[in-house]
Amino acid sequence: MTTLLELKEKLVRFYSRNEVFITPVIRFFVALTLFMTINSSIGYMKSISQTPVALILALLCSVLPTGCMIFFASAVILADMYALSLEVCAVTLVLLILVYFVYFRFAPKNGYDVILTPLCFKLHIPYVMPLGMGLIRELYSAFALVCGIVVYFFLDGVRKNAAVLSSAAEEEDGAVSKIVVVLNQLIGNKEMYLVLGVLLATLVLVYLIRRMSIEYAWTVAIISGIVFETVGLMAGYLLLGINGKTFEVLLGGAAACVIAFLLQFLFFNLDYSRTERLQFEDDEYYYYVRAVPKAFVPGTDKKVKRFSGRDEERLSKKQLVEEMDIEEDWLD
Amino acid sequence: MVNEERLRHMIKISRFDTFDGKECRPMTQYARKDYISLQLLRSFVTGTICFGLLLGLWGVYSMQTLMEQINSLDIRGFLTTLLTLYVVFILSYLIATYIVFYVKYTTGRRKVKRYYGSLKKVNQMYEREEKLRMPGGRDRQ
Repeated sequence: MTTLLELKEKLVRFYSRNEVFITPVIRFFVALTLFMTINSSIGYMKSISQTPVALILALLCSVLPTGCMIFFASAVILADMYALSLEVCAVTLVLLILVYFVYFRFAPKNGYDVILTPLCFKLHIPYVMPLGMGLIRELYSAFALVCGIVVYFFLDGVRKNAAVLSSAAEEEDGAVSKIVVVLNQLIGNKEMYLVLGVLLATLVLVYLIRRMSIEYAWTVAIISGIVFETVGLMAGYLLLGINGKTFEVLLGGAAACVIAFLLQFLFFNLDYSRTERLQFEDDEYYYYVRAVPKAFVPGTDKKVKRFSGRDEERLSKKQLVEEMDIEEDWLD
Repeated sequence: MVNEERLRHMIKISRFDTFDGKECRPMTQYARKDYISLQLLRSFVTGTICFGLLLGLWGVYSMQTLMEQINSLDIRGFLTTLLTLYVVFILSYLIATYIVFYVKYTTGRRKVKRYYGSLKKVNQMYEREEKLRMPGGRDRQ
C-alpha cells in the first residue's frame, strides 16, 4: 500500500509539473480515439473518414476547449449521415440540437462525459460511466450521461440499419419510411430505455451513498452501484428477451469495478484508522466533528545536511531589520 | 522575498478567475430568486423549442397514421392532448432547471465567498507590508 501511495504522490507531482504538456496530449488521444471510432463505425463519407483527417482534427482539439471537440464530432457525424441519406442527416441534426439544449443548458462543463459515454459503449465498458460520474461529479452530470447514451444508441441503430436506410429511397414514399426507420432506433428501442434507466438510477444511487456520512462511503457506493447495475441490466435483458448479454454485462461490470476503485484511490483515499472525533461548542451549537485524515506518504526528498561552515540561509535579526526597514527594538 | 502564504491565496484567486470566474459572475450580480427566475425564463424558451422539435419528429414518424385518421380526427381532443403534453413537458423541464440552478447558485456563492476571503487576506497582507515599508511607520496589527 505504501508503494502505491508513493507512486500516486509521484504521479501527482509529475502531473502538476508537466500539466501544460500532459493535458493537450490526453485531449489529443481522447479526440483521436473519438474520431477513429466514428470513422470505423459510421464512416460513410469516405473523404473525411480518413486517418489524416482524424489526426488533424485531434490535433486541433488538443489545444481547443472540450466544447470544440463535441462540435467537430457533431460535424463529422452529420457529414457521414449526409453521405448515407439526407433524411437521416436531418433527423440527426434535430437530435443533436435537442442534445445541445440539454447539455449546454444543464451540464456545459461535463463535455468529457458526453464524449466518453459513447466511447465506453464501443469499448464494452459503459458501466464505468455512472460509477465514475457518481463518484467525482455533481448530480446534474446525469444530463451528460443521458445525452451520451441517446447519441450512442441512435448512431448504433443507424449503423445496424445502414443498408435499409441507403436503399429505402427506391421505395414509393422513401423519404418518410427512412425517417420512420431511423426514428424507430430511438422510439422503439427498448434496450436503450432499459440501459438509460438502469445507468441513470446507478448514478443517482452512487452519488447519494458517496455523499452519506458513513465510513467507507466511496467503497460502499461502488459496490452498491455495481451490484445494482449488474442485477438491473441482467433482469431487464431477461424481461425483454434479449439474449447473449450476460457475459458482456459481467465482464464489463468487473472492469468498471476495477476502474472505479482506481478512481477512488486517485481521488479519495482516506485513512480511517486515524479518524479523530472532536466535540466543541459555541454560543448557539454543539459540534460533533469527525475528521478523517487523507492517506498520504510524502515523497523521498534528498536533503544535504551541512556540518561545517556558516549557515548562510539563516536570516539574522540585523538583516531582517535592514530588509524590513524597521527599528531593531521592534523584534525584542 | 516571496511571501508563501500570500502566494497560496493568490493561486486560489487566480484559479477562481480562470476556471469559475465567468460561471460565478451572475452569483455576485443577482439574488438567488432573480438568478433562478432568469434561468427559468431561458429554460421556458429552450423547452418550448425542444417540444416543437420533438413534436415535429413525432409528426413525421406518425404521418401515415395521421393521414389515415385525418377525417375522423377529433381536433379539439387532439389539441387538448397536445397542450397537456406540452404543459407536462415544460413543467418537468422547469423543475429540473430550478433544482439544477438552485444547487449551482449555492455552490457558486460558496466559491465567491472563498474568493473574497482570499482577496481580503491578500489585501491585508499588502497593507501590512506597506505600513512596514513606510518611513517611521509601525505595524499596529
